[in-house]
Amino acid sequence: MAIRLTCKTLGAACLGLSMAWFTPAAFALADIIETPARQTDLAPTNLLNDAVRAGDRIVAVGERGHIIYSDDGGQTWAQGSVPVAVTLTAVDFGSETHGWAVGHSGVVLHTEDAGENWSLQLTGIGASELAIASKEDQIAAMEERIEEAPESEVGDLEWALDDLFFAMENMQSDLDIGPVNPLLGVWFENDQHGFVVGAYGMILRTQDGGDTWKDWAPQIDNGQNFHLNGIARIAGGALVIVGEAGQIHVSVDGGSTWERRESPYPGSLFGVIGTGQVNEILAFGLRGNMLFSSDLGKSWRMVPNSAGATLNDGAVADDGRITLVGNGGTVLMSGNGADSFREHFRGDRAGIMSVVPVSGTNLLIVGESGVKITDARGKNLQ
Amino acid sequence: MSNPNHDRGDHFLTTPKAEPFLERLIFNNRVVILIGFLLLTAFLGYNAIKIQPDASFERMIPLEHPYIINMLDHRNDLENLGNFVRIAVETKTGDIFSAEYMETLKQITDEVFYLDGVDRSGLKTLWTSNVRWVEVTEQGFQGGTVIPDGYDGSPESLEQLRQNILRSNEVGRLVSDNFRSTIVYAPLYEKNPETGEPLDYATFSRQLEEKIRDKYREQNPNIDIHIVGFAKKVGDLIEGIGSIAWFAGITILLTTLLLFWYSRSVTGTLVPVFTSIVAVFLQLGALRLLGYGLDPYSVLVPFLVFAIGISHGVQIVNAMAVEAAKGFDAETSARLAFRALYIPGMLALISDAFGFLTLFFIEIDVIRDLAVAAGLGVAFVIITNLVLHVLIMSYLGISKGGIRHVQNHGEKQDRKWRLMSYFAHPGVAPISLLIAVIGLGLGLYYKQDLKVGDLDQGAPELRADSRYNLDNAYIINNYSTSADVLVVMVKTPEEQCTQYNVLRAMDSLQWELQNTPGVQSSASLADVSKIVTKALNEGNWKWYEISRNQTIINASIREAPTGLINTNCSLTPVLVFLEDHKAETLETVVESVEVFANANSNENHTFLLAAGNAGVEAATNEVIANAKDMMLIMVYGVVSLLCFATFRSIRAVLCIVVPLGLTSILCEAIMAVSGIGIKVATLPVIALGVGIGVDYGIYIYSKLEKYLLEGKPLQEAYFQTLLSTGKAVMFTGVTLGLGVVTWIFSPIKFQADMGFLLFFMFLWNMVGAIWLLPALARFLLKPEKMIAKARAAK
Repeated sequence: MAIRLTCKTLGAACLGLSMAWFTPAAFALADIIETPARQTDLAPTNLLNDAVRAGDRIVAVGERGHIIYSDDGGQTWAQGSVPVAVTLTAVDFGSETHGWAVGHSGVVLHTEDAGENWSLQLTGIGASELAIASKEDQIAAMEERIEEAPESEVGDLEWALDDLFFAMENMQSDLDIGPVNPLLGVWFENDQHGFVVGAYGMILRTQDGGDTWKDWAPQIDNGQNFHLNGIARIAGGALVIVGEAGQIHVSVDGGSTWERRESPYPGSLFGVIGTGQVNEILAFGLRGNMLFSSDLGKSWRMVPNSAGATLNDGAVADDGRITLVGNGGTVLMSGNGADSFREHFRGDRAGIMSVVPVSGTNLLIVGESGVKITDARGKNLQ
Repeated sequence: MSNPNHDRGDHFLTTPKAEPFLERLIFNNRVVILIGFLLLTAFLGYNAIKIQPDASFERMIPLEHPYIINMLDHRNDLENLGNFVRIAVETKTGDIFSAEYMETLKQITDEVFYLDGVDRSGLKTLWTSNVRWVEVTEQGFQGGTVIPDGYDGSPESLEQLRQNILRSNEVGRLVSDNFRSTIVYAPLYEKNPETGEPLDYATFSRQLEEKIRDKYREQNPNIDIHIVGFAKKVGDLIEGIGSIAWFAGITILLTTLLLFWYSRSVTGTLVPVFTSIVAVFLQLGALRLLGYGLDPYSVLVPFLVFAIGISHGVQIVNAMAVEAAKGFDAETSARLAFRALYIPGMLALISDAFGFLTLFFIEIDVIRDLAVAAGLGVAFVIITNLVLHVLIMSYLGISKGGIRHVQNHGEKQDRKWRLMSYFAHPGVAPISLLIAVIGLGLGLYYKQDLKVGDLDQGAPELRADSRYNLDNAYIINNYSTSADVLVVMVKTPEEQCTQYNVLRAMDSLQWELQNTPGVQSSASLADVSKIVTKALNEGNWKWYEISRNQTIINASIREAPTGLINTNCSLTPVLVFLEDHKAETLETVVESVEVFANANSNENHTFLLAAGNAGVEAATNEVIANAKDMMLIMVYGVVSLLCFATFRSIRAVLCIVVPLGLTSILCEAIMAVSGIGIKVATLPVIALGVGIGVDYGIYIYSKLEKYLLEGKPLQEAYFQTLLSTGKAVMFTGVTLGLGVVTWIFSPIKFQADMGFLLFFMFLWNMVGAIWLLPALARFLLKPEKMIAKARAAK
């Protein structure tokens, strides 16, 4: 696990510090979640973290609340109207018009016009309050359990209760600072049902198009609150979440219940996709590590490659080719259903965060230096 | 001049009685005065020789401008942010991954390490241990020096080096985008921490040339070396001052030849040259005694002093030759020449001096120094020229050849002067005026494009094709870097400079600026925090944001470059990299910052303009733009007043000043067309040009008035004027032009600009006086009224 200098690891000392720092002084600038994103020509050339299709349209999200969309395969871009200026991390569309974007400060943004206008549905404050409430429920349930439990189990249960308390206090102290934690992934089934996932095990579910959210963390076996980095649906209908420290969670009932899978790789996974074949999962992350499963994650095989760099996202083209992209300008391509990959490195070595197949074998990639349209090996076309 | 009686009391600066008194005072004490001059010259000349070059940065900037005050207030907090040199070591064939290249780079690294003035702990090259690569692994970070452990120059270790560089994030910074050169980055001490001595830029720059550039280019013919940085630039400037000595020699030689061709008299040549050089020594000596050094601007003043001395000396030589031709002896000719010339001479010189002194209103020290130097110089010219020169000539006299030359030549040239007198003809004058009006219109049209500030790429002080600017262009083209940096200082209460709201505010300012035309990029603690936060989260770009959690912010900036936080964490800079340093660019950007600063400064964070070279230039431009009109009004006001005081006629003032105005406007049009902006160097040109240029008009008008008062018709009066003073006036124009024309070849760009513009002003003011003054006189002067008025005054 990477270094995590957060209040969670530093504990109470940090709590005191952050309380001392937080004084409700008159800020000259409005908070970043109350500041609309600036309309700028620079959006397509600055950091973009995710890009998806919304029908024929491509929509991409990035730093400073940038959401841009293109109706000509990425040649020209327009900027959506967004009420926040935080770094956005992920976007997904449940239908051609209904989409959700998530990002820092725990924001959830919603569009009903395919990305042109966005409204704020939830912030990290609401998310934390939901999480704290569900921790309180868990604590109450645990206390009941302890009263009824046989003597021999009480000791362990009290440890578990302490963990719950500690987790809740951490959430409370984070909330005192403000909406500190980012959401990192989003998936929507249609214009009603979807999940958002994020830092420290955050996961929320809506079944009414984002009007109300439920904390879904209790359904996930993630006792140490590791980051959840990505969520996707694979062919056959199963949902897969991947995250920090080899977290892999699978749901076969549309997200109601989740089962933890054992990962052969203990490092962070940043993304997951299906291959187009039923029940096949391809998960990937730190240092080019890539895991393949054809049985919903019950067994895994490491896919060898010499990319060496962190892999962030992948996509399957209509012809079945799989492309993965990552840091250091890495573009991996497989024509044989993830048996093996060919590596390419872009000349600029800039990090690539997301890929969308466009016309022919061409790709649209977004990342550290904005949007690029490339050939199948990641070479610039323009 | 044919009748000395007419030269007596026609002017109003003095009474008829005073004149003989001054003349008696000087001529009856010739020996005493000459001995006095000898002693004064010996004393000041000794000081003059010891004067030192001095290119102080502070004297070139407007110290009273609020930006500069802010910058100097926080100078210690910003230390080492700007003072460094970058040495790009380029390989001419292949790339940097060769054992030979790396060996040369290692030797250069060692050599730079031991240069006096280098802050050794901050030295960065591929060979220093502070240049590292870092990689995120499952266990945390893994890293090492870019030079692999056990490097031995083998292909394997070179391949490892390539891998490390790619992982190190140094491409575009220490390693060029095309892998054909790398940078040796050497921060410098302003003051040597051991001895406390300030950095000697001239020596440091010379060492870079000798110990680095020359030595290693010779040792390894396959490499080239490019050096940029403030210290190198100042070194080059100081070296440029040295080439002035050559220009001085050439100017003196050319002037002497011209003077001999003009006077055909050895004494009439050598004495003015000698007395003018005396004036230069007196001026330099006095400057040193007043505590001044020679900066790249004031080093030009001796040329002006010399040229002014010569041009007025010529008037005296001319007058003496005319008198001597009538048969007077040396002393009487000298007395008569003095009597005829001391009023217009003094008036002309005083107006020169006042013209210079108007420069004092510009709040930039080098320009004030220029005013002092030039004012002093003219004061000395008044005494060397009107006293020393006349006295020496009263002993030596004009040689026979010179007198014959005046007699023969005068008659031969009658036809030429006759032809030129038609400028006053009633048929020609309207045409001249029409041409002048057209010229004025064109001038006003083209002058619209006149810009404030420096317009060229690179270091504006040096020529575009200078070694420094070529090196600068190389580094800009091969590395992700800009030479024009504006620094906004963000001031906070102590220990508060890294607070979330401060970083957030800086980030907002940066985005505002990056959306402002002319801004290339920006950098601040906010960027460091975002980058490191991302790195601490396994290098995932989704974490590229300023955390609200202060603990995370603190962790993210723990390794921030020292220049970004001052010692008590109350100041942190925002660096704004600009596309160029054109005045509009600077104005737009500064305006953006000011709007933001006014809206968003509060007790937690105040945004202060400005440091960085672009900040200084923005302040300088503002001062220059404000001072320009003020200075024009002052210089024209002073010159007009002096002319009015002398000739007691508004019409006379118009005759003299209108041609000057036309020249000033044409000069600005030429600046606009040839891409020279109004800047520290060119602003004084107009004051100098007008102050000196008025001399021609004064000499011509005073004669013209005299002949008109004698009752001659205008054209005849102008013919007589040309006959007596036309040659001297034309010669003056050529001498002054020669005095400055050599500057055009100066390696220092602004000296070349000044030379070019002054050359134009001096020559064209002469043309204006000879051609346009009589045409204006035709329309403005009423000789009958002038005669009546003169009678009434008597």
